[in-house]
Amino acid sequence: MRCYRVPLDGDGLENLAVMVAPAVNGSGREPLYLLAGGPGQAASDLAPLLNAFRRINRERAIVMADRRGAGRSGAFRCGFGSDMPADLETFSRQLAQCYLQKADFAETLSSRQTVADLERVRRFLGHGRIALWGGSWGTRTALLYQQWQPESLSALVLDAVAPIDTKVFLTAGAAENALQQLERDCVEDVVCARFGDWRRQLDRLLSQWDDGRAANFPDPLTGAPSEQPLARWALANAIRTALYDPKAAAQLPYAIDQTRLGNYRPLSGIAGLFANRTDSMAMGLTFSVACAEELNRISGEEVAADSANTFLGTAFFDLFKSGCEVWPVQPKPYGAPEPRDQPVLLISGDADPITPPVYAERQLDYLSRKQHLVVAGGGHINSPRGCIPELIARFLDSPGKPLDDSCVAEIRRPPFMADAFGPALDMGGAEQ
Amino acid sequence: MEKRRFSPQMAPLLLKEFLETWRDRRALWMAICFSLMFPVLLAGVTIFVVKKNTEETTRLALLGAENAPLLERQLRGPNLEVEAVAEGSPRQLLNDGYDLVLQLPDNFARDYRDFRAPPLYLYMDSSATGAGRAEHHLQERLNSLQQLVVSQRLTARGVAPQLLAPWQLQVRDVSTPSSRGALILAMVPGLLILTLFVASLATSVDTSAGERERLSLETLLLQPLPAWQVIAAKTLAVASLGWLGSLLAIAALVALMPVMPLAELGIQQATTTGGVLAMGLLLLPLALLVAVVQILLALRSSSFKDAQTQLSILQIAPVTLLMVLDAARIDLTDNYWQLVPLVAQQQWLKALLVGESVSVGWVLAGSLTCLLLVAAAIAFGARALRRESLLGAV
Repeated sequence: MRCYRVPLDGDGLENLAVMVAPAVNGSGREPLYLLAGGPGQAASDLAPLLNAFRRINRERAIVMADRRGAGRSGAFRCGFGSDMPADLETFSRQLAQCYLQKADFAETLSSRQTVADLERVRRFLGHGRIALWGGSWGTRTALLYQQWQPESLSALVLDAVAPIDTKVFLTAGAAENALQQLERDCVEDVVCARFGDWRRQLDRLLSQWDDGRAANFPDPLTGAPSEQPLARWALANAIRTALYDPKAAAQLPYAIDQTRLGNYRPLSGIAGLFANRTDSMAMGLTFSVACAEELNRISGEEVAADSANTFLGTAFFDLFKSGCEVWPVQPKPYGAPEPRDQPVLLISGDADPITPPVYAERQLDYLSRKQHLVVAGGGHINSPRGCIPELIARFLDSPGKPLDDSCVAEIRRPPFMADAFGPALDMGGAEQ
Repeated sequence: MEKRRFSPQMAPLLLKEFLETWRDRRALWMAICFSLMFPVLLAGVTIFVVKKNTEETTRLALLGAENAPLLERQLRGPNLEVEAVAEGSPRQLLNDGYDLVLQLPDNFARDYRDFRAPPLYLYMDSSATGAGRAEHHLQERLNSLQQLVVSQRLTARGVAPQLLAPWQLQVRDVSTPSSRGALILAMVPGLLILTLFVASLATSVDTSAGERERLSLETLLLQPLPAWQVIAAKTLAVASLGWLGSLLAIAALVALMPVMPLAELGIQQATTTGGVLAMGLLLLPLALLVAVVQILLALRSSSFKDAQTQLSILQIAPVTLLMVLDAARIDLTDNYWQLVPLVAQQQWLKALLVGESVSVGWVLAGSLTCLLLVAAAIAFGARALRRESLLGAV
């Protein structure tokens, strides 16, 4: 692993932090750049992926460049550490203060700047053409790089695809579909099917949620009753977040069924899965990019249409809407995508609550050479699972060739939680 | 006997020594064979080990699988083949070609549900090759299942699973692929030096103790030649063979590197052409030193056989020392170590093998030290030759 500081000219920040895992065999294959999600996540946070990408790393250097305002390139955190305030008002107030302090910096942050910076890094490292791996919002950055710097690019690997024209912050419909996919998979499973109509219980729980119930919701980290009662929107978001990860999703039916009996602990445990993560987003960067490039192009009607008849409603969108109200950066539209012919490998999980496979299928017609891997029951980001790292390596070695993707079908959902003892090792057989 | 500082007879003397050295087919073949042997062995072992580790799958017989079909399903993985076996004794199954036998007791699932931590019996034959690897394959799958169960059990009680991991240790390996190679290729310099010793062994015994027993040494000493020239000529002839041996070994090693699956081991092949040439050159002073020390030792031995025994010990001692120094991780980064013959050459070879550079100044200084020692040994040998007792020893 090597670290570099790539100098920038002006604009406050002096340099970009770049981490490179050199290729084991310097055979001259083009390097793979990893682009992180968010917007607001740092590429250096993707270092754990290196383990899954070991085979790729044998022939290619893997480059992780923290974009401006993320990670070690001057993380723009606005004082939000790992914990988010529990109510929207406090959140907006803190955000507004942060904006006023660094309004100029906030205005400069954009995808266009990130693409230009990536070019700078590429030239600094002396790389010719490069391949890109993008995850989640990183796929958007990668697709924009392909639009604006096509001559620098050899191939694209996009996991959890956010096409240029897709309004990814309209996530209620996608989350609802992911939950329904979970319901269908649950019915198919002998153990999970016993929970019956847990979905109706979830709807009931969300519609009847009040401070009294919230007070019963224990803190998953301390075990003590929560100091601040959990808001309804936060609960809905916790469910949505659990759907990102199939392991967490596999615990939802049991946890929701338990609330029927007044036991909120399993659900609190699931919420705790994602609490206090220190690799969280740099919120200043998140809002600078999201408000300028996404929120401003979403209309009220679209929000209403997306959130109708969903468990999430506007719980996720409201957070960004209220944030962008105090974060008045200029809109930075992209322009319509032009045809491109670099080979592209698309990866989706069919139970992804934010970037479902349909995005990759319907909104990338301008790409002439693309292949799509869809992981059954897969959540958000599937690159490290099963044979996918191997397929990515093969794709990068001969991007034009169609992949034999039959092994993707072997990737299964993790076993559902059956009871307090965990998964049913006897698959619900003998005993009951 | 007329004493002269330098005799013009040196050229014919050298010719004679070289002819005798190179004419000895047996010694020549031995040198060549040994030089080629270790690179070929090294390549073979690397290829074999990597193949074993990456391609072999473990066969696991699962007794009582009907008690926990989910366990059976979750254990299956790319390098673990799980077969549910209805009955059989573990010993018999291991004999039948299974690497491991895992037995679930009858009430396994019930005890598991009741949190009674039921036992799982793993039968293995630790004397079988690959037993360790097989167990590792199973542990890997079992651990991930165990993690899943623990995580679900904690969630069920409202406990965030990260409470089990009070911190996240993130490892950043700052080694470059070539410096990773230093660890695995660390034995190569020692083996190259050993090649030097082995390749010149037979000749050095023959040219000293051998000539003495054939009584031709006496004739040689009657010639009007300074004794140091005799020793020097013999040293040069013997060193030429030792050096050739080590050059051959280097060439073979570099030629075989592309077929070795070094990338799979995370090693970069970084040896450059310049590096290979440098390796050859810096072994030359050492070849001379080894040759002269071998000749002197053989001369002071009591017989041809005695000389062979002494030199066999001599060839093992320094190489063992180098390996011990390496294994004990004694810090040799101090530049003054580069003035110590053997240690110096080992450090330089190690650096050059992984494509790192060595300081020319220190290499010259170290080589010069080595050559001074050669000169001193020749002078010492010349004085010893003048003692008649040396010739009498049979």
